[in-house]
Amino acid sequence: MQFAAGAVGGTLLTPLPWKLADDSAVWSQNWSWRPSPERGEITKVPSVCTLCAGGCGIQARLVNGNRAILIEGNPANPVNEGSVCALAASALQFLYAPYRVTQPLKQTKKRGDKTGFQAISWEQAQTELSKKLEEIRGEGPHTVACITSSRRSSMDDLWAQFFNAYGSPNLFKMPSECDASKSAAQLTTGNSSTFAFDLENAGYVLSFGANLLDGCAAPSRASGALRRWKKDRYPVKIVQVESRASITASKADVFLPINPGTEAALAMGIAHLMVNGANYDAYFVKNNVFGFEDWTDSNGKKHQGFKSLVSSSAYTPEQVAKITGLEPAKVRELAKEFASQPKALAVWGTGRADVSNNTYHELVFVALNALKGNLKPGGLIGLAPKAPLSELSAQKDILSENSSQQPRLDLAKSQNCPCPQNGLYGFLDAVSSGPKYPIKLLMVHEANPAHCLPENKLFAAAAEKVPTLVSFSSFMDETALQSDYILPDHMALERFDDVIGIPGAPYGYYAVSAPIIKPLLDTKHTGEVLMKVASTLGGTVASSIPWKSYEDFLKFRVEGIAKAKAGAVIDKPIEISSIKAGDPVTSNYSDAADLFKKLKAGLCWHDAPSAVTFDKTTSGKLELACQSIGKNAQSSDDVIYLPHFAPLKPSGSESEWPLLLVSYSSPRVSCGYLANTPFMNKLIPDSMLAGDELFIDLNPQTAASLGIAQGDQVKIKTTQGEAGAKANITPAARPGVLYIPRGMGHKAYDEYIGNKGVNACQLMEVQLDPVSGMGTVWATRAQLRRV
Amino acid sequence: MNEEKTSASGKVVGVLLFVLGFAGALVLGYLVFPNLLYSQKLQPLNFSHAAHRDNDCDSCHKFRPDGTYAGIPKISNCKECHESAQGNTEAERILVEEYVAKDREVPWMVYARQPDNVFFSHAPHKGKGVECVTCHRDVTKEEKLPPMREDRITGYSMTTMEMTECEKCHSAKGVSNNCEVCHK
Repeated sequence: MQFAAGAVGGTLLTPLPWKLADDSAVWSQNWSWRPSPERGEITKVPSVCTLCAGGCGIQARLVNGNRAILIEGNPANPVNEGSVCALAASALQFLYAPYRVTQPLKQTKKRGDKTGFQAISWEQAQTELSKKLEEIRGEGPHTVACITSSRRSSMDDLWAQFFNAYGSPNLFKMPSECDASKSAAQLTTGNSSTFAFDLENAGYVLSFGANLLDGCAAPSRASGALRRWKKDRYPVKIVQVESRASITASKADVFLPINPGTEAALAMGIAHLMVNGANYDAYFVKNNVFGFEDWTDSNGKKHQGFKSLVSSSAYTPEQVAKITGLEPAKVRELAKEFASQPKALAVWGTGRADVSNNTYHELVFVALNALKGNLKPGGLIGLAPKAPLSELSAQKDILSENSSQQPRLDLAKSQNCPCPQNGLYGFLDAVSSGPKYPIKLLMVHEANPAHCLPENKLFAAAAEKVPTLVSFSSFMDETALQSDYILPDHMALERFDDVIGIPGAPYGYYAVSAPIIKPLLDTKHTGEVLMKVASTLGGTVASSIPWKSYEDFLKFRVEGIAKAKAGAVIDKPIEISSIKAGDPVTSNYSDAADLFKKLKAGLCWHDAPSAVTFDKTTSGKLELACQSIGKNAQSSDDVIYLPHFAPLKPSGSESEWPLLLVSYSSPRVSCGYLANTPFMNKLIPDSMLAGDELFIDLNPQTAASLGIAQGDQVKIKTTQGEAGAKANITPAARPGVLYIPRGMGHKAYDEYIGNKGVNACQLMEVQLDPVSGMGTVWATRAQLRRV
Repeated sequence: MNEEKTSASGKVVGVLLFVLGFAGALVLGYLVFPNLLYSQKLQPLNFSHAAHRDNDCDSCHKFRPDGTYAGIPKISNCKECHESAQGNTEAERILVEEYVAKDREVPWMVYARQPDNVFFSHAPHKGKGVECVTCHRDVTKEEKLPPMREDRITGYSMTTMEMTECEKCHSAKGVSNNCEVCHK
């Protein structure tokens, strides 16, 4: 006893107990799962973000050149001026994600069975893909298809080159908001481009549902424009018109809540008052617009003009008020304000960057801007200029020549469309419902249609009919999981890529995204896989794709800019929005090699905006009466040529489905190919997602009529599917309309990403646009009940 | 009487036992425990600071242009003179054959590395005129690197400076001892 007492007393006087207590606390800092940053030299590597189409300059902070620890904005880039969105800021969580595909995989069991994936070597993967492509080519190359991203990069052109040389017309892009803009630009100006908006120089912005601050196509540029609008001594007035009080609405000076999908009706109402009050740019309209007045076609047949249509009784303020839910006086006030402001700009959008709009509604907004004179040279709307990159031209052999006679599969469905565009929905529909010819191999690149394509069951149904599905995804996403082969691409920060233009920006822009870090895993650039496959196929396919590396391919593309001596590299701070159409931009690079070197170092290339030209239309003017619609017209009604309010009716009866479900994009949720990062999930408010439960927004009035209280568990049923969720009662929602965020409800990935909320795409209805044949999404009829 | 004697000797024995326990614990706590707690690891090769004393500390233990401290020189620094062997020592052989020729970094163990939860920058200390030897051992005459004594529980070096040392110096110099000065 005494010995023990002495030992205890003695021990207390030694450092032993105190050191052990201290060490046990410190020991907890060194648990193996606790992240410990690598120590060493910190360097910054500039590059350009390719996670969305926004083209932001970024710089990565690296430790010892091999461990990336931070992505931040590059202040030298004129588009984002140092800012980045949540997606780019958390891009490293994709790079080091546990759900990355670490090497090529082959499914040995049933599709979708994760345990069936067997690791194979790149040599085996490429050989098997080449062999399949070779076999199919002999039987008919048109039976190979690909779905790729809607980003604007040289990768798209490489895919097109491969498909042209190989001999298949079935290359499709994921839907984008720009699709409808392209369609409208084609119809009204004859140019294959998209409209571009001089946001920075506008004096008054009337936004018809454009989600400028909710993650639109170029989010950093939009927030930069907002900064300028608010900074001026006389701040620019922003009027946001849409059905839901979005973030953009909250930042606007005036928010006008209207019934969903009726923005075009309001625009027609404003145009009605401008025309009837002779309060429009009559000089521009008279000299540069075709179809404003009644017109005569080449057969001598007389047709109604836009003036007559818009000034009719269908678009009086009272009628428009009935459609939109606004007061007639408000319509008059808005029209007066828009017409009288000298630099008023109308912008528009679907509120979702990755779905297309109704072409007639696009035309309405173009018409409203035409009345304002915004499409004249030096006006606030132009066409997105194209960087003069080296063009690609595929060499064809007898097989590709023969197969080029085969129609693209989507055209079977959209053959009645007067202005058919790249119709992914038509293609999926055709493949799943007995196509003209079967698809034997489908490749999916930088896309996850199994999850993020509205009405994603269409992809599942089509994929079932395709014997071989190949994914090039870096991640184990829903589409990769359903694939027979996964040939993982490098993650965006590990590879060469480029950005060709900023969506909706009037200036020319081109940037090379150089890798910030060596590939971490056994992945391969999809461009280089295509090069390898083309070389194995040999003949004209190989000679059409002669490059050995993707960097070489980009060097080739950049040669085009250097040859044209166009534009300049931005190597000192400039206000890019101050450059006007036709302003000289003197090149500041000596040759193609010098230009590429500068681009690789993170500098971007720019050129002056280009004014809208109308010389490619039948009339040589801006066509408000789109004569090209008449080519395949099924109706003799004159209104088919003209911009007008033409909502596509959602299926289901109003009595059975009394509510409308509208999906929306949030800057906190990535709703495209990339899933949310864990960091972004932390940004989601509890009113959108709590735990794994998604909230559906509904108005207090709607909630009261359904007997639903805040946070109640509800069951939503639409004409397309059903799901469980929670109710979030908010006046931000329009009465009678339910709102669901896009991008949630992943079933693949891991516990931090998957099974959070509901995938809106499984509930939404897609309707084919009658003009372009592309899928549009606006509202779906729905029921909601408490459970 | 006997009981009293027994009681007295019992007390002596008790005191002796107490002293024995007490002394044993002191021996254990001061002599045995540290040797048990800290391992003795040898560096991958010996480095003689004395042989390099023509240079001052800064010429090898540099500050980068951005002000951050580069720490132990990289193999590229060694290569400047040791591209080929400069003598016949075992350390020279290991350096040239195992590291210089293979262009591998020497995995030196650091005697004074601070934990991850401490933000320590050499630059402001150097700027205020704190000498290297205030915190680090004087290596000017050191021919043999001492073994690295690593705490088996925490993994930190025995010579890692503890918070009290930092605080004492900060107090003496009138520098803030607020938590966020070092724990960012």
